[in-house]
Amino acid sequence: MTSLLQLQSPDFETIGYSFSEGSRPGNKEHGFYPYTDNGGSTLGISGSDFTILAGDTRSVSGYNINSRHSPKVFKIGGDDETGEGAHIILSVVGFAADGQALKESLDGIVNMYKYQHGKPMSVKACAQRLSTILYQKRFFPYYANAILGGLDENGKGALYSYDPVGSYERVQCKAAGSASSLIMPFLDNQVDYKNQYVPGSGEGHALERRKPEPLPRSTVEQLVRDAFTSAVERHIEVGDGLQMMIITASGIEEIYSPLKKD
Amino acid sequence: MPGFDFSNYNRNVALHAKGVPLPKATSTGTTIVGCIYDQGVVVRPDTRATSGPIVADKVILLRSQSKFNCEKLHYIAPQIWCAGAGTAADTEFTTALISSNMELHSLWLGRQPRVVTCMTMLKQYLFRHQGHIGAYLVVAGVDPTGIHLFTVHAHGSTDKLPYVTMGSGSLAAMSVFESTWKPHLNRKEAIELAAEAIKAGIFNDLGSGSNVDVCVIEKDKPTQLLRNYLKPNERGQKERTYRFPKGTTAFLKEKVITKEDIGKYVTVQELSSDEDVAVVEKMDIDT
Amino acid sequence: MAINFRDGVILGADSRTTTGSYIANRVTDKLTQVHDTIWCCRSGSAADTQAVADIVSYYLGMYGIVNEEPPTTPTAAALFQELCYENKEMLKAGIIIAGYDKRHGGQVYSIPLGGSLHKQSYAIGGSGSTYIYGYCDMHWKESMTEEEGVAFVKSALQEAIKWDGSSGGVIRLVVLTAKGATRHVYLPDDGYKGPGAK
Repeated sequence: MTSLLQLQSPDFETIGYSFSEGSRPGNKEHGFYPYTDNGGSTLGISGSDFTILAGDTRSVSGYNINSRHSPKVFKIGGDDETGEGAHIILSVVGFAADGQALKESLDGIVNMYKYQHGKPMSVKACAQRLSTILYQKRFFPYYANAILGGLDENGKGALYSYDPVGSYERVQCKAAGSASSLIMPFLDNQVDYKNQYVPGSGEGHALERRKPEPLPRSTVEQLVRDAFTSAVERHIEVGDGLQMMIITASGIEEIYSPLKKD
Repeated sequence: MPGFDFSNYNRNVALHAKGVPLPKATSTGTTIVGCIYDQGVVVRPDTRATSGPIVADKVILLRSQSKFNCEKLHYIAPQIWCAGAGTAADTEFTTALISSNMELHSLWLGRQPRVVTCMTMLKQYLFRHQGHIGAYLVVAGVDPTGIHLFTVHAHGSTDKLPYVTMGSGSLAAMSVFESTWKPHLNRKEAIELAAEAIKAGIFNDLGSGSNVDVCVIEKDKPTQLLRNYLKPNERGQKERTYRFPKGTTAFLKEKVITKEDIGKYVTVQELSSDEDVAVVEKMDIDT
Repeated sequence: MAINFRDGVILGADSRTTTGSYIANRVTDKLTQVHDTIWCCRSGSAADTQAVADIVSYYLGMYGIVNEEPPTTPTAAALFQELCYENKEMLKAGIIIAGYDKRHGGQVYSIPLGGSLHKQSYAIGGSGSTYIYGYCDMHWKESMTEEEGVAFVKSALQEAIKWDGSSGGVIRLVVLTAKGATRHVYLPDDGYKGPGAK
């Protein structure tokens, strides 16, 4: 009939007796918190004739796992729910519900464009439109970091990275989400060859930087996998599965592979 | 002087009032469990320590010195061991202190140390510090009075149960115990049950991860420490090699110091080969 | 809770310990012995009540040895009150003391949160007690038999467990008479029917 309350609950139930010191009414702040961070990470790399978007498939809240099979990369502008016929891909990470809403809204718009103009939306136009969607909610933002991928008008890989309120730029590679601070330096070094110099090319400041060249698809896939297997080791919100979408002139390929589940 | 140093207390209170955040101690997001079986007790922690979402310490040092080879298993006496959760430093220092006091105590009495003694010392110490020492412990052991298993919370409360769990993964682990535990387990069943409980913590609690350590304490037998009893989380194989050619890193100045140059100031010792390098630090003593 | 009956006292408690909404222990023993036939029921903070009970148990043990006779229930109650009153700012402890001694027979004392001491014919306390004030008042009789007393305590605790979320688990009883202490346990599996006295 009694309960032994204990531990980290400083404001636990006091039984109705008044104390000179302890009777201060505990003012508890109430509020509405519509956002949760669902963790996870995404990453995109564009090549000369392809773009890869990847994300882990874990969704968390706090120290709990919501799902081990929750995709973060989506096809945009497909003819049906399988995404068949799409030529743009979008990855979202942050608050999963906002990510889904953002994807739904962009998907609808891209499809409407197709019906109204009788031609598919270009990646460039889609990128600008996504920015507008995000900025429309400037004061109640989508809590999501988006990366948009596709092929540009010349058939080259195109990759656009966004902040939650619509600032965007075209980039060659980008990591987003909770492990972005772990993955991005790796990408800087291995894709842009940052801090790498050509051995024996000079002395001191004259030393020549190693020039980035377009990477072949197989290499990029390996880098993506290595980035994620490493992120899993040092970030608890990343894991379970790796979802990769590769967009080329011949269509979109989707590859799932397992990651550590702890 | 014994006890804690409070000399910066007022300064830190003032800083905190101005909005400077307090330094955060490493908290071991962890799963630790204990289970009694007919001849002994099993204690086991998983082997991950987290500080925030970044995994701070995942693999344990492979050195095997008697006391410090396990991150979360703490030696108290040969037949009494603790698994710790909560603030890493607090579990380490609290168990070390109690271990020392237990040894002195048993020497003074000329008797085997008892698990209740250890539990009482821990609870009185932790109660005195009113929860500020964030040590959450599972205490297990065998003594002349029998087999014992306790939990000790940071505020000083204790529980005595046939199976216990603590740490952030304790709920996941307890769900395994509550659904599958039965009385009169044998050694093998107890270890397997505890392993399942820990695995529930490893996979379902983000704070817990990596491997499983086991400590088996049995009557009239030396305590067995099974380091990395299970390794369900081996690192994924890297697909590329990341070796840089020599000269990749830029430098502004190069200076070569020869053996002759440096030999003027320090003693240079030639190492025979790359393998089994035995560095002997010699100290010159006046004779 | 604890009650007086014809031959002594009966203490009773549920067995639930909670940390927030998590049940840290579902088979807790909240009936704590502080001397041969002086026991207490603990409610409030587990750490605080365990510490207080340990100290009292130590003093009563010393008292028994030094004076070569067992301490009485009022002595134990006074000790509990001293600790609870002098340290009331630091403690979250609601304790009921019940004991049997040759001089006074069975006695029940209650020490609520502020550290005051009340001698009562029966006492209830803890979060679940609010649900059973009416029940106890309605069914209470002076000088019950042991059988009646056990039934009274058990049924009152059943009500508390039924209505209070932070109470639950098994029902533990201790019967204190001239013959000493007897423990009872009643499991929820069969509606708290058994197994009873061990």
